[in-house]
Amino acid sequence: MSEHGEGISRRGLLNRISLGAATVTVAAATSGNALAAVAKDSQVHYAMVLDTRRCIGCHACSVACKTEFAVPLGATRSWVEYVEKGTYPNVSRHFLPRLCNHCRNPQCVNVCPTGATFKRSEDGIVVVDKEICIGCKYCIQACPYDVRFIHPDTGAADKCDFCLHRVSRGVAPSCVNTCQGKARIFGDMNDPTSEVAQMIATNPVTVLRQGMGTRPSVFYIAADHSDPRETRIPNQYVRVDTHRRIQERR
Amino acid sequence: MELHWGLPVIIYLFLAGLGAGALTVSGSVLLRGGGGWFAGQHFRIARYGALLAPLPLIVGTGMIVFELGTFRAGIEQFDIAKLFRWINLFKTINLSPMNIGSWVLGLCILFSLAYAWTFLTPTACAKDDQCKVRRVMAWIAVPLGIAVAIYTGIMLGAMPSRPFWNSQILAMLFLFSALSTGVAGILCMHAICHCEENQELRAQAGYILSVSDALLIGLELLIIFLFIMFAHLTIGDPAHAIAVILPGGVLVWWFWIGVVLFGMLVPGLVELRYTLPKLLHHNPYRVLRSVEIAIGVLVLAGGFLLRYVIVVAGQITGPVGM
Ligand code: SF4
Ligand code: SF4
Ligand code: SF4
Repeated sequence: MSEHGEGISRRGLLNRISLGAATVTVAAATSGNALAAVAKDSQVHYAMVLDTRRCIGCHACSVACKTEFAVPLGATRSWVEYVEKGTYPNVSRHFLPRLCNHCRNPQCVNVCPTGATFKRSEDGIVVVDKEICIGCKYCIQACPYDVRFIHPDTGAADKCDFCLHRVSRGVAPSCVNTCQGKARIFGDMNDPTSEVAQMIATNPVTVLRQGMGTRPSVFYIAADHSDPRETRIPNQYVRVDTHRRIQERR
Repeated sequence: MELHWGLPVIIYLFLAGLGAGALTVSGSVLLRGGGGWFAGQHFRIARYGALLAPLPLIVGTGMIVFELGTFRAGIEQFDIAKLFRWINLFKTINLSPMNIGSWVLGLCILFSLAYAWTFLTPTACAKDDQCKVRRVMAWIAVPLGIAVAIYTGIMLGAMPSRPFWNSQILAMLFLFSALSTGVAGILCMHAICHCEENQELRAQAGYILSVSDALLIGLELLIIFLFIMFAHLTIGDPAHAIAVILPGGVLVWWFWIGVVLFGMLVPGLVELRYTLPKLLHHNPYRVLRSVEIAIGVLVLAGGFLLRYVIVVAGQITGPVGM
């Protein structure tokens, strides 16, 4: 994909600033968490594991995300779905936290006509440059996870950016930071010593809508993938509460 | 269910198809006769096509601007930079179907204006001094019109996240619908503008337009059949998505009554009713102007409804399962 000059310069600057900041701040970081990998390896690939066994469906992540970015009413970068299944007394309820999957084969990037949406080569985060985006909504249509929306102030597409402004300074994403049950684990999956890489390696992880070929960077442990519209489980009552303005999964 | 692409996009798909179809039909009619008998007789068809094409292309393209998030924010905030943010489309070239399509569409609009210019003088005829230029331009008009008609189908079809659209045959459906609406547009224009003159000449042009339109409608129906059967006979996302236009689906009446019955079958059968006697028995082709206009209007309305159903159906369905 070619990029026009303005995009390159702004994007290049952004990347240089963030890499520089990451090198400085992460070198100074003492916690030894996965973010420290930024300094030693440029082939960083950020990923998140959502351990649904530890999720209590409290929506603290959704609120933290909303606050961090002043996400307008009616729009969500991060939300938690409740998946209810079965008939009494054989019933279950699981929580499914949702956010952008920062796909390794992102459809949103493939379709973007302006190059405003792109995957950062240095850390794999998929971002939107709101100064370039024209708000054509093609990426909204193309994302199989319905995680994008048009921000009413900018008119541009918006979504989770893995808290780039925090991560580039060696600070954990807001939702990860706030998670009570430590259900969200974030870090560099290319660093075998990182918690996220170890979680992925030692657990049966799944991704959402694997058949879409997007190769997500967000992994789930013990996720209930049930959907009310599918007939995978015959005669089974399934209900999903998205807790979004958009009530139905798309 | 939220529709991210609404009426402006539906109108755009319809008008761009109409304009591209008219341009292609005009170019091919002109080339078919090489300025000889056929083009000489039917020069007026080529002329109407050429004169019709630019307006829907320009108005349709103008419509999509109203769907852009930045344009809407620009209006609300009186922000000039946001109003003209769409220029970013033309600051880059990439493999996005929308990017390629925008360049092709931009070219097509400019080209259609230049092409129409060569037909503009009231004395324009098949053998005037512009005829060479016109012929060269017609060679470009045909592929350019086809490209505009097809790209919209590729744009919608390129997304696995939209199983209703994610069909290889959608682009062909858009192409034939564009050609059919292009012919219908020319048919209407011709019937409205030529009331008082030589009945023989009028019938010749009306006949050729009606036969072509009936053929295009037949091909459209075939593609619709394939489109539905491929999706319906499979399992998973496409079968689930196509159910919205099958019995029990929310768009079933719009599709079968609006698009198929009134937009295709009725005008197609009426066209056959008037053209078959000439085709089979060489009887003279006689049809009332009002019937020609009614056929054209029905085909145009059907073309619009087809875009409506497809744009809505694609957005109210999605992948099944999580
Ligand atoms: S989840 Fe959607 S928006 Fe995020 S990277 Fe994947 S395709 Fe793009
Ligand atoms: S809305 Fe913006 S980011 Fe999305 S495809 Fe259009 S230009 Fe690209
Ligand atoms: S990583 Fe940041 S932007 Fe993404 S869901 Fe978490 S808080 Fe929101």
